[in-house]
Amino acid sequence: MAAIVLENLSKTYRVKVRGEGLKNAIKSLVRPDYREVEAVRNISFSVNEGEMLAFIGPNGAGKSTTIKMLTGILHPTGGSMNVLGYNPVKDRRRLSYNIGAVFGQKSQLSFHLPPVDSFRLLSSVYEIEKSAYESRLKRLADLLELNEFLDTPVRKLSLGQRVRCEFAASLLHAPKILFLDEPTIGLDVVVKHRIRDLIIKLNKEENTTVFLTSHDAGDVENLCRRAIVIDHGTVALDMPVKKLKYDYLNKKVVSLKLNESAGIPEPPGVELIKKTPYAVKFSVDTRIAPISKILAMLDAGNIADITIEEPPMEDIIEAIYMGKREGG
Amino acid sequence: MGKYLSIAGISIKNSLVYRASVTGRVVFYFVFIFVFFSLWSMIYSGNEIAGYSLVQMIWYVCMTELVVFCSGSEIFGRMNHEVKSGEIAYRLLRPWNYIFMQFADMLGSMAFSASVFTVMAVLLGFVFAGPIQGFNPASVPLIVISFVLSITMNFFICMSLGLLAFYFEENSPFYFIYQKLLFVFGMLLPIEFLPIWTQGILRYLPFSLITWGPARMVVNFSYEYAFEIIPMQAAWCVFSVLLAMFVFSRGVRKVNVHGG
Repeated sequence: MAAIVLENLSKTYRVKVRGEGLKNAIKSLVRPDYREVEAVRNISFSVNEGEMLAFIGPNGAGKSTTIKMLTGILHPTGGSMNVLGYNPVKDRRRLSYNIGAVFGQKSQLSFHLPPVDSFRLLSSVYEIEKSAYESRLKRLADLLELNEFLDTPVRKLSLGQRVRCEFAASLLHAPKILFLDEPTIGLDVVVKHRIRDLIIKLNKEENTTVFLTSHDAGDVENLCRRAIVIDHGTVALDMPVKKLKYDYLNKKVVSLKLNESAGIPEPPGVELIKKTPYAVKFSVDTRIAPISKILAMLDAGNIADITIEEPPMEDIIEAIYMGKREGG
Repeated sequence: MGKYLSIAGISIKNSLVYRASVTGRVVFYFVFIFVFFSLWSMIYSGNEIAGYSLVQMIWYVCMTELVVFCSGSEIFGRMNHEVKSGEIAYRLLRPWNYIFMQFADMLGSMAFSASVFTVMAVLLGFVFAGPIQGFNPASVPLIVISFVLSITMNFFICMSLGLLAFYFEENSPFYFIYQKLLFVFGMLLPIEFLPIWTQGILRYLPFSLITWGPARMVVNFSYEYAFEIIPMQAAWCVFSVLLAMFVFSRGVRKVNVHGG
């Protein structure tokens, strides 16, 4: 069953345009000029119940605008949508009992109070019964390891601790759909993994639908089976993450620090990016040369340090566009 | 209803963090009353001006300042900020009525400072002026009702002005004008000091009903007056709530949440 359906959804902003100089400033007082900005143009797709969808695209592509329309915060200028059988514009409050959201760059916790106070408030706002709330909080606190700092004022928490609390806050009312807008931005690997594990667990056990936007290729790869790429407000690609990965996420960048100056083997698929006497940086096309095979070819005893990076989402999206242009 | 009580509850807790700011405002309140005390003591030479004795006049100022100091006018700034910064996004995500959520939040956050200021107002009234002659303790319930209505209507008017941020890039002039109207039409002077024909108009307008309404009830109570003022305040309360709801429901369609 479809949890989210969008049909020809559009959102146009009207932005006041001001020319330079005094003359234009006065002119804009009398007769302001407006410029129409099409943030989202006629997008249509649907998301099934229990699906985890990656909704990706460059900055300003319309990702957040779409999430905010689906959650009832923004009103679309055209098209229609249906979220869990509700129209988010008209049924915002009824819908809100069934959805949760984490906006990575905004906080929903009271800054000066401990998170447990915010949780208690949310439990009453969402009309959760006391016993249900207590067992839910205990479960989330265990999964996210919040117990140490449940009573610490939010302003004293680290970013990682705070974001874990944000997740707990968004999940207390057991939402059927979880909207995540850049949830792991700025987090370290350990916290990222813990959050990913939580999302996977909830999806398995409660069949939670997840709608994720992220610039983190790792989030997309590890969580989602399907990805929609949006650019300039339109759907550019809609394909399984496996295929996206095969086509576009196939590059890893390996940086080595060496004890003694040495070269590296360069089988097909390996491309040297930079070389100094004690450091080498190269990219590996994992379709041609599996990363394990390449690592096996290196002289392990000579390696002082190694990092393996995934290309940033921006590069992947650029690659998608390059590929589309080459193909068509 | 329960959820709005919880909102007020957490807001009381939150407000206790800002004890220093309450202390600062208490000092400011004292300075205000002192300046007005000096001013009116200079002006008064005879017994009464426009029906107010010096004692009544000082109590009057203590009371109008009380309304102004604890009436949650900060809601203007908060609305302005929430709309412009897009913080409103998270708050629109919840199953509550946004307008009443903010009201509950304000009630909670002013509970502490309002009690402090009430004590201050009564204390300073006694110190600077002494007891009001003929004050009837039986009038207290009606006076309290009048204060509550004042604060409520001021809150929703300030909220409506703040929500104009949906429509205007710069909405503070509206608030500035509103503040000045409150100041001249009741806070500074009882409207009895103004020409008769203006009194006839002002006693029906929110500016005077917010400040003059309850303050005059304290210094010169009569049932006749109370039963004229309270229904009018109640009517303006209803109007201001409807106004805030209207501005909000129209404005929320225009909400622009920038960033990403």
